Amino acid sequence: MDAEAAKLLGAGIAMGVGALGPGLGLGMMIGKALESIARQPEVAGDIRTNMFIGIGVTEAVALYAFVVALILIFVA
Amino acid sequence: MSRKAKGIIGALIALGALVLLALIPGGEKAHFSVAEEFELKPIVKLPELVGIDMSVNKAVVYLWITTAVLVVLAIVISRTLKAHPGRFQAMVELLYELAHDGIVGGVMKSGRRTWFPYIGAVFFFVLASNLIGLLPLPLGEHWQPAYYAATANLYVTLTLALFTFVFTHYAGIRKNGVHYFANWAPASAPPVLKQLIWVIHLVSEIFRLVSLAVRLFANMLAGHAILGVFFGMALIFQSYLAALILQGGSVLIYLFEIFVAFIQAFIFAILSAVYIGGALDQEH
Repeated sequence: MDAEAAKLLGAGIAMGVGALGPGLGLGMMIGKALESIARQPEVAGDIRTNMFIGIGVTEAVALYAFVVALILIFVA
Repeated sequence: MSRKAKGIIGALIALGALVLLALIPGGEKAHFSVAEEFELKPIVKLPELVGIDMSVNKAVVYLWITTAVLVVLAIVISRTLKAHPGRFQAMVELLYELAHDGIVGGVMKSGRRTWFPYIGAVFFFVLASNLIGLLPLPLGEHWQPAYYAATANLYVTLTLALFTFVFTHYAGIRKNGVHYFANWAPASAPPVLKQLIWVIHLVSEIFRLVSLAVRLFANMLAGHAILGVFFGMALIFQSYLAALILQGGSVLIYLFEIFVAFIQAFIFAILSAVYIGGALDQEH
């Protein structure tokens, strides 16, 4: 395997594995948020705001993987 | 003819059209690379100033456009305020209310009046920049319409994140004085653990800066890269059928990108508000 192939393979694996965790996390978090909104619709606004903050923080992990994949392809 | 038979004939015609489309040979094989869309080539070459390249490139032009749009919008809206708002004024009012009540009012306990101007400005700037990035502007390599967004550039988002970073600590020091840094670790913690917690907090402060910048940058870059792949895939496959399907798909991606543009502006502003609010009202 030459260096170019290894780079592309590494980028693919980085993105794929890196999307796994945040995907699970986002699913769990949004599921729980919807559950709480269904239980207590009167605090839906607060829950939604906090959910978006959580989404932002969780999603950043997947985007780190994306940036690492880009660095592997174009910089490394 | 029954409805069922009509449906079957219609489906057959559609299938035939698709097969015909697949059989037509596509155009010439064209060179296509998504990465080239994000290369910054100087439009107006300017000399270096203390080692910094001052050339005007695509990102700079996009920033100018964003600023111009926001300034014009603000002047027009403030001059033509009506008690019974039209559609446009209602939309701007809705966004203002979201920034004022939803973001600042929702997460900050104190200092709302002081910090709303910054957080509102950041919200509108990022939102305008993201949305303008979805318009094809004639700024490509050969002045062809091309996609780019100022926020799909790490330097722009890092600058915005640095504003939040500096303002967070400025707000904290102004409100709490020297206790601001002492409050990073809980006072009741045992001695060695306290210092350890303080160091961990210091690292997390730096990572807040990095994640704030990278989140916005990577989101916009990924969105534009996916759009570019959808548009460019037709050139690679050289097939009209693939072009039809991919162009249809790109419409869906485009709609999703409009949603992402809003969400990212919202998240950037709300996280700025959370960080500044956290520095103002520290836990002791």
